[in-house]
Amino acid sequence: MDPMTFSIIRHRLFRIVDEAVITLKHVSGSAITNEGHDLMVSLYRADGSLLMGGVGFLHHLTSAAEACKSIIRRFEGRIREGDIYLLNDPYTAALHTSDIYLVAPIHHDGELVAWSACFVHVYDIGAMNPGGFSPQSPDIFTEGFSSPGIKIVDRGEMVDDVLDTMLNMVRSPEMVTLDLRSMIACNNVARERMQALIGKYGAETVDAAGSELIRQSEDLFRARLRELPDGEWQSRQYLDVDGETAVVRLTMTKTGDRLAFDFTGSSPQSRYAINCTRWASLGGLFAPLFPLLCYDITWNEGVIRPVEMIAPEGSIVNCTRPAPVSVATVAAIQSVNNAACATIGKMLAASDTYRAQATAVWHANHFAIFKFGRNQKGGEAIGILTETFAGAGGARSFADGVEIGGEIPNPISRMANVETVEANFPIRYLFRKRMIDSGGPGEWRGGTGGEMAITPHKAPDGGIHYVISGKGARHPMSDGLAGGLPGAPNRYLWIKPGESSGEASGEASGEASGEDGGDERIPGAANPVSWGVFPLMGEDALYVRWNGGGGFGDPLARDPDRVAEDVRKGLVSRTAAEDIYAVALGDTGAVDRSATERLRSGRLAARLEGEQVS
Amino acid sequence: MSDRRPYSATIDRVAVPGGEDLVCRSCGHGLGSADAVWKEVARLDERPLCEAGGSVFEATDPKLLLRRFYCPGCGAALDTETALEGEPFLVDRVRG
Repeated sequence: MDPMTFSIIRHRLFRIVDEAVITLKHVSGSAITNEGHDLMVSLYRADGSLLMGGVGFLHHLTSAAEACKSIIRRFEGRIREGDIYLLNDPYTAALHTSDIYLVAPIHHDGELVAWSACFVHVYDIGAMNPGGFSPQSPDIFTEGFSSPGIKIVDRGEMVDDVLDTMLNMVRSPEMVTLDLRSMIACNNVARERMQALIGKYGAETVDAAGSELIRQSEDLFRARLRELPDGEWQSRQYLDVDGETAVVRLTMTKTGDRLAFDFTGSSPQSRYAINCTRWASLGGLFAPLFPLLCYDITWNEGVIRPVEMIAPEGSIVNCTRPAPVSVATVAAIQSVNNAACATIGKMLAASDTYRAQATAVWHANHFAIFKFGRNQKGGEAIGILTETFAGAGGARSFADGVEIGGEIPNPISRMANVETVEANFPIRYLFRKRMIDSGGPGEWRGGTGGEMAITPHKAPDGGIHYVISGKGARHPMSDGLAGGLPGAPNRYLWIKPGESSGEASGEASGEASGEDGGDERIPGAANPVSWGVFPLMGEDALYVRWNGGGGFGDPLARDPDRVAEDVRKGLVSRTAAEDIYAVALGDTGAVDRSATERLRSGRLAARLEGEQVS
Repeated sequence: MSDRRPYSATIDRVAVPGGEDLVCRSCGHGLGSADAVWKEVARLDERPLCEAGGSVFEATDPKLLLRRFYCPGCGAALDTETALEGEPFLVDRVRG
């Protein structure tokens, strides 16, 4: 193929995905989709292998490939032009039931030539708890509607009985309909543009370009792996849920042009919905791999081929049916993301060529909090607090992490405007801001996470409730690198005015006890909450803090002027400046250089007096 | 130094008869054979994260330890990890 034609087709494939994403966002009415960007669109070859990975949550790229392959197996001989199939069973290919895949065959002259696939986190899926994350579910059977593959559009016509059956099992069916129609529109745009491309260049030429693109990606990725040193790197991630702690362990081995991820030693599957299936773990490790190792390589089947995964059956990273998995995307999958990010960062740091690209772990702990109840307009509303998508950048070898700077697994994630949330829910934000001291200390500081508080406002029922799947308050998950410290962990507090700490309880299920340090900005008793359904009534407030990024390098090596600047900006406290960074500031906030030198000399001397393990 | 190759962001490898040794990148202090576990010869500061990390870590699990590994020669921070009591060190190996 001539290089000009190849290049044109390659760029058209990128643009087709982009246009399909825009369609998805414009049609969907959910903040989680069109503001949080909890979505993904990709193109697949006729056999279901990944052709062109799109943006959005990257842990879906490989799982959606398996969804296409599963549909091919299940509907062999019955796949027609204009069909669209729904798949959301986690034990078949999906990550959890509320992330629905719609996959659509693309035909040319009657022949199946490709697939498009997309997902959104639908408004509701009919699980025990509203919104899809269902912390009270003990098994997959209580996590809502689940299908290993069903046709919802037949040769261009909606299969209404199937759609109605599904909508009969979910809350807010009108919003779920809109979610599904946004995905149908997305797939229609992808199909039309692909057919136009094939119409112009011919099916054989486009398929040959796709084949060449995959070969290129494989060659480029294998070449990159050969440039990196061989070795083994370890990481581990703790997940605390309602007083129990699980662990994800990873040893990543790089040999020649191959990379193996071994999760042996990870915890057995949990009774809580933090587990994930094998396909989800595979997607989870690829989410950081694509941007960190293949930032200049097209994300497709060629990148997948050199990678192997070992995930023990029955473990938290390869659970068996009917283990609950509804919280997987923010639990075991995200821990797989983090563990892989940490080991890849260490591998890059061990390379003369790539050491500058090493990064600490970014925003490592989504909180999943879904508000639900009657809103100020009298309608039933369900919606996630999208601040979880705001993230925090991990520190790099040459720069601080970006404040509230997103996350590795989703390059386009972001949070909704405060006004959007207040317009749809009977709440007011008391504040939403960057969280002081949340960025992991280091020579390069992790990006700060954030903090926020909400309270009921003009609620017809006096308030609302929320579902919280809030693991990760007792263990930081954004690991530091090269002597950097982790970013601050999440925090979830139910604040009740007029009560002393520890009294809050009642209708809540899950943890809602224990005393916690209060917040002078929100008077009242502060009680940690983490897992279950809780009220936000009357003058209650919900305080949430989300984690910062990990730090890079020795905090004592940080330029004291940068520390002073951080203090001026409210990103680092004066206490942390002195205790963590050993920087003395004068009354004006300027660095006291002689005092700082004494502090740092003293700290180094104290380090040398420490324990020597052997 | 040109005969050094990186082991990590803070530690280098140097060729020695029969293999490789690890050295602190900041001061060149020896950290033992690359086949051994360098963390065992480092200075270790291990304490509960809730006491060592600052106020944002005060609510973390009291059994969660922040391990800071320092160079015995110059005191530079070489690595950190968090670990529950009794957890082995994370061990990395670099070859080739």
